Amino acid sequence: MTRDKFINKLDRALISVPYEERKDIIQDFEEHFAMGENEGKSEEEIAESLGAPNQIAKEVLASYYLGKVEKSSSTGNVMRAVWAVIGLGFFNLVIVLAPFVAIAGFVLSGWIAGGAFIVSPLLFIINILLFPDSFNLIDMFASIALSGAGILLIIGMYYLTKLIRTVFIRYLNYNVRLVKGGMKA
Amino acid sequence: MNVQFKKGALELCVLALLDKKDRYGYELVQNISSKIAISEGSVYPLLRRLTKEEYFTTYLQESQEGPSRKYYQLTEKGRSHLYELRDEWQQFTKGVNEIIKEGVGYDKG
Repeated sequence: MTRDKFINKLDRALISVPYEERKDIIQDFEEHFAMGENEGKSEEEIAESLGAPNQIAKEVLASYYLGKVEKSSSTGNVMRAVWAVIGLGFFNLVIVLAPFVAIAGFVLSGWIAGGAFIVSPLLFIINILLFPDSFNLIDMFASIALSGAGILLIIGMYYLTKLIRTVFIRYLNYNVRLVKGGMKA
Repeated sequence: MNVQFKKGALELCVLALLDKKDRYGYELVQNISSKIAISEGSVYPLLRRLTKEEYFTTYLQESQEGPSRKYYQLTEKGRSHLYELRDEWQQFTKGVNEIIKEGVGYDKG
């Protein structure tokens, strides 16, 4: 691969990184090529020992998205960071995606259960409207109690979600440290 | 060799090379790749990450031959991280070496 081709491939793979940072990364590699050529190496030789531009880009992207998620952990940022870390290799597909899906499922079900509890008096009212004969006090009080429990559950879920997010981001960082670094297998 | 295992080592190599003096990227890469088989390109993302984690600071310096060079300088935080990693590494390799010494000999008998 020639120098231009290498730089182009890397630049294209890093398209989601803001211009300033991307320029900085490309600069490092241009410097590397220039110094290698000073030592009398050919462009092909240098590109060959650098490795695949796409793999390099994956490593850059993973730490870029992780840096971003630490500044603002919006759901979109968390998702992008998860995908970027998964992109590092097949190994991560298992050790990142599996816990992520499990935890996301758990959090989601907590929120849904809380929401359903809260609206349960509403369901009770609908039930009365449709079948006025079925009114009974125990059902009514049970649905009100359930609604209260739902409010508590939602409040709990709010803090739990925040905590889980922090812990999971820490896990992603640990994972990047473990899997990254670019030794030839 | 096992990829995960080798990867942690690269971070230690980079930190160790910067302990005594500042070096520029190309110099770091050449120093490491002359001794260990690595994809040279992944040293740069590693350098970026460690800079973000405040283990290094960088500065540019002109050179007579070719473009100006980006030098990496170890911070105090980086130095204490280096010593931590080094101790872990030495403990780990010492253990593995002892096991090899005991284990491998018996095969012949």
